[in-house]
Amino acid sequence: MANSALGTGGNLMQALKTRMHFHQSRQKVLAENVANADSPGFRPMDVKAPSVRVSNGGVGDVSLARTSAGHMGIGGRSDGFDSARARRFETTPSGNAVNLEDEMMKVAQNQSDYQLAASLYSKGLGLMKIAIGKGR
Amino acid sequence: MDLLKSIAVATSGLRSQSGRMRVIAENMANADSGPERAGADPYRRKIPTFQRRFDRELEAQVVDMGRVQRDQSAFRVKYDPGNPTADAAGNVRMPNVNSLVETMDMREAQRSYEANLNLVSSTRRMIQRTIDILRA
Repeated sequence: MANSALGTGGNLMQALKTRMHFHQSRQKVLAENVANADSPGFRPMDVKAPSVRVSNGGVGDVSLARTSAGHMGIGGRSDGFDSARARRFETTPSGNAVNLEDEMMKVAQNQSDYQLAASLYSKGLGLMKIAIGKGR
Repeated sequence: MDLLKSIAVATSGLRSQSGRMRVIAENMANADSGPERAGADPYRRKIPTFQRRFDRELEAQVVDMGRVQRDQSAFRVKYDPGNPTADAAGNVRMPNVNSLVETMDMREAQRSYEANLNLVSSTRRMIQRTIDILRA
């Protein structure tokens, strides 16, 4: 029991770390989209959300699904983040398909999701502190 | 750190949009700059261009101001026989600046600037949240 709890704790922290890493990468991709909101011919990108594989009953390791073998991460990222083409609402005559409102929504959502993950992470740290006897 | 890179990407957007604003201001200010002497051309409208560039350091597509191009459309013609720069028929050629078009461009630049600014503040909040993990 103690072992599995500790294991779950470790895996939980790992999963949250992956989650936070995902939100960081997504923030960068969204920043690219917004910065290029007026560049001709620019197509917005998005990062595919990590899918949690449940293995051994507990919180599994988190990995990212690849939508196509031909896709490559932006800038050859090695951490497995995959930029899939975002859904497009409209394309201007200059060939730009960035919808600013949509991007702002995504940024706000990304930020609050990141804050949630960060809060859970510090909660997890607090749990560990209690376990080692330095809890408040 | 990815979040700082997000800020750098958004900053490239801010820089290009303010450059665009400068060109628009130039057009607006020179909306009535007629020819300096008879036979010379009046002010010709400038068009800001954007180009995207892959920044290897940031591993992201940033946006830069491209060459400022000149609008090759026809000049406005104003009938003003008293003007010293008028031709034999009493017509003066005036700049091809349409203040309505410039106002629309200005609004667009303003909106894009705000979007980039929003992204910077959102990313800053994410960084602050990360630092808060240490405090917990």
